[in-house]
Amino acid sequence: MNPTAAGAAPIQGEVSSLGLSGWTLWRVFFRSLFLQASWNPQGMQNLGLAYAVFPALQKLYPDPQKLSEALARHLAFFNTHPYVGAAIVGGVLHHEAKIARGEEPPATVDNFKAALMGPLAALGDGFFWLSLRPAVGAVAAALVPLFHAGSTRVSGRWVPWLHAGAPLLFLLLYNVVHLTLRAKLFRLGLRRGDGLVEELGRQNLPARGARLRAVAAASAGGLAAWLALEFGLHEGGRLAPVLAGGCLALGVVSYGVVRRQVTGYAALYLAALLAIVAGASL
Amino acid sequence: MTLATQLGVAFVWGGLMALERKAFLQAMFSRPVVAATMMGLLLGDTLSGLYIGMVLELFHLGSASLGAAIPEHETLAATGTTAAAAALSRSTGSPSTSALWAISILALLWLGPAGRKLDRYLERFASRSAQKAIDRAGRGELSSAMRQNLWAMWPHFLCFGGVTALCFLAGTWVAPLWPGLPLPLVRGLAWAYPAIGSVAAAMGVRGSRARQAPFYGGAAAAVVALSAAVFSLWKSTP
Repeated sequence: MNPTAAGAAPIQGEVSSLGLSGWTLWRVFFRSLFLQASWNPQGMQNLGLAYAVFPALQKLYPDPQKLSEALARHLAFFNTHPYVGAAIVGGVLHHEAKIARGEEPPATVDNFKAALMGPLAALGDGFFWLSLRPAVGAVAAALVPLFHAGSTRVSGRWVPWLHAGAPLLFLLLYNVVHLTLRAKLFRLGLRRGDGLVEELGRQNLPARGARLRAVAAASAGGLAAWLALEFGLHEGGRLAPVLAGGCLALGVVSYGVVRRQVTGYAALYLAALLAIVAGASL
Repeated sequence: MTLATQLGVAFVWGGLMALERKAFLQAMFSRPVVAATMMGLLLGDTLSGLYIGMVLELFHLGSASLGAAIPEHETLAATGTTAAAAALSRSTGSPSTSALWAISILALLWLGPAGRKLDRYLERFASRSAQKAIDRAGRGELSSAMRQNLWAMWPHFLCFGGVTALCFLAGTWVAPLWPGLPLPLVRGLAWAYPAIGSVAAAMGVRGSRARQAPFYGGAAAAVVALSAAVFSLWKSTP
């Protein structure tokens, strides 16, 4: 398939308004997936951003001197959430196209980045890192035993690919949201520039995040009970109730002690030590 | 698959996952439940990957890279632990058991904090690449400057791949000790796995950051426990 033709279809409107081909926009979008490749404490994602927008800048600025100046604008400090950063990458192209046509001063794009990178980082961290990922991760972890039991029952023997159902579901559920939003945000930045903030506000991501966090907590709690019961019955023999009950109690106690500033590592090693001593001596 | 091939597979998968986690895409292939399962699948021990990945996913559920803060490296913990468990299982010829998963997790859980230190150490290479890019862009070598973004990823791949491969080797080296472990200790380790899982799940409930996390977690645990009780009563009724 011709990549230019394939890439042009979903971003037709932006092609005509920015003076960039669909292929160039696809290249920029693909390169924006490397936004964090050279993350460093000084400029953070500066080189990643410059790398992403470089093909578009080459088209917008045929004059090497102006291209060099444009690139230097994006080698300055930059840091945001890598997914939501797609909106800023799109917005940078929106502004650079105007700067190249002489419709805006070069400082506009710097102000645009400075104004949006912080708030968008907070939005992306809150929704993706602290809500969607824990929710999908906990659901996938909770489904591991179900897929395991189900696939054994269906096939009657050990089939590794069937057991990988839970991780595959994790990737599917997460990336349907992740990749759709990333592409949508890139287009939003291209089309609206500074106007993308209003559009993002309408997505109501914080409220959705709160519901996802509840899903994560419930899935983890359910899995704790399953682990205690299943392995308790399987490994405990005549002492199965002791092991199952003990594990449930350890989960509750460790939740309590970790709230009182004890590290998760200390709780885990202590619980394991107790279980080893009990298992070896009873 | 020969030992050398498996070692190479562990190196490449460990390195790729570290890149996916930080430098490219971030589509969550590097989360423990996915990365560990795939590592297990590649090394011929899917069950170890699945059950180690599940526990580590819960344990690291709340870790996130916020701003300039670097979280613990849950990916290295997952790939390294699974590589060691698979090597142990392969070298001893014993089946994948909960005792084996427990000892692997207990021995290598520190890879999470160690990976964070390695991440921090490798930032100096990324800083150097970024500075090189700025210098070259200043001299007008723009394409070469942009390529520095990709060069900055290589130390990550090599270092994390190397540590994962070392974990695989460690599993092979300690394998001769495994059959000599006293049976009560093996039984104790088998008991430790659900205990570790319960603590990890409690960490997961906490890591969810839900406003009423104990309520949601406790309610779900109660539903599962009650369902299991009803199911076992129903099964035991003639």
